Amino acid sequence: MILLQVTNPGSNVSLVLYFGTIGMLALTIGLIVFIIFHQRKVIRYQLRLQRMEHDQQKLLLNASIRLQEEERQRIAADLHDDAGPLLATARLYLNENLVNLDKTTQLQSIYNAKQIIDDTIQLIRNISHSLMPPTLKNFGLESAVNDLFQKISGSGSMNASSRFHDYRERLQAENELIIFRVIQELVNNILKHSNASFIHLTQNTSGSKFFIRLHHDGRGITQNDFIKLNKSNVGLGLKNIQSRLKVLHGKIFFEKDMSQTYYKVTIELVKEEEEEKLQEQE
Amino acid sequence: MMVIFFYCIISFLTDLSYDFLKRRISNFYIYSTFTIVEYTLFALFLYLCFKEKAFKFILLLCSLVFFGLAFYNLFNKGGGKEAAGFDSLSASLEALFIIIYSILFLYEQIKDPTVFYVYYSKNFWIILAFFIYFSSTLFLFIYAATFTKQEHKIYWGINFISNILKNIFFSISFAMKKTQKAQYPIESLYPDT
Repeated sequence: MILLQVTNPGSNVSLVLYFGTIGMLALTIGLIVFIIFHQRKVIRYQLRLQRMEHDQQKLLLNASIRLQEEERQRIAADLHDDAGPLLATARLYLNENLVNLDKTTQLQSIYNAKQIIDDTIQLIRNISHSLMPPTLKNFGLESAVNDLFQKISGSGSMNASSRFHDYRERLQAENELIIFRVIQELVNNILKHSNASFIHLTQNTSGSKFFIRLHHDGRGITQNDFIKLNKSNVGLGLKNIQSRLKVLHGKIFFEKDMSQTYYKVTIELVKEEEEEKLQEQE
Repeated sequence: MMVIFFYCIISFLTDLSYDFLKRRISNFYIYSTFTIVEYTLFALFLYLCFKEKAFKFILLLCSLVFFGLAFYNLFNKGGGKEAAGFDSLSASLEALFIIIYSILFLYEQIKDPTVFYVYYSKNFWIILAFFIYFSSTLFLFIYAATFTKQEHKIYWGINFISNILKNIFFSISFAMKKTQKAQYPIESLYPDT
């Protein structure tokens, strides 16, 4: 009956009515199907992003665990290979037979043992300093960086200088240590891979941001290289930098200078008050 | 959801008492009054669903236009078209406005990043019911005032089919669990996160 109505040439209303209704229904269904498929696509994309982020976090975590293990192994090796033999030698000098020896030999043995124990104390102090530099603990980041750069310059292989423009108030000790470790890692990389003749570090603040910038004239990496290395299984040190900065809600940018002569590394951190707010939000 | 449940009850009671009312009041008044009540309830439901203030404002503005025209038509006996037995202008306007609101609602859902799968929400099925019902009856309502009794009998089937579809979607919505949380697969992929 409906078809009869539609095919009736006199009935224009029915034609408009049926085609209008069918058209509207088709549009409605099309729109709803589009929305559902579009949403599914967006969700799939979000999921892929989350998965990538999760994998990245896993990579960073693994890097930081590996680094920690390496650090432990290094300390264990230092203690076992250096402190162990020194103490064993000191023990040999102070053996049970010492009382039966003549006075001069006794004194000589005690003196030797004292020398060895002094060396051991120095060695343990060095190990302890490598774990937590005393300059950093006592005088802050600026002094620790200056100290580090003076040592590098003193070696004669590279000219290293630093300038802190706005560092009147010290950061929290644990934050200073994290920043110092990041700087140490970056400087280490420059020393190992860049073949640079100078490194210059500057510190600045702007609004709620805290910046540390490193310049050098050797071979460096750009942000793209950094991202690639971070996603790969190599570049353990860079991953470690990334995970350390994540704790401080910081960012790092690797770029080439405008003049294309120098490489620049910028560490951007939020000031502690802001960071506390961010942590509360998390 | 209470609004829709209330609408279902009113719709059911109107259908039941239609024959009784028809003997006392003109068809025009029954349809007009029902259109106004229906629009009020649907608009209220949509107003509560909208999160964006701009959309709420649009709804209020359109409602002013609708109520103005619908009441004018009702008290003016449809501008002399009472004999047709159907207030075509109010019903068409209602259909058009509800379609617009439904599109706005769906747009809002797409934009909202907290909404995962849109079909997990009860509101979506209600809006789908509105959308399908009014899209398929828009042209019918536009032409309804010009129908003869014979044509009315033939074409009113569209309204009945759409009504059944609308009620099916309402039923789906009512049957859904109250807090059907969007199952975000990431949680099952990484149970430790």
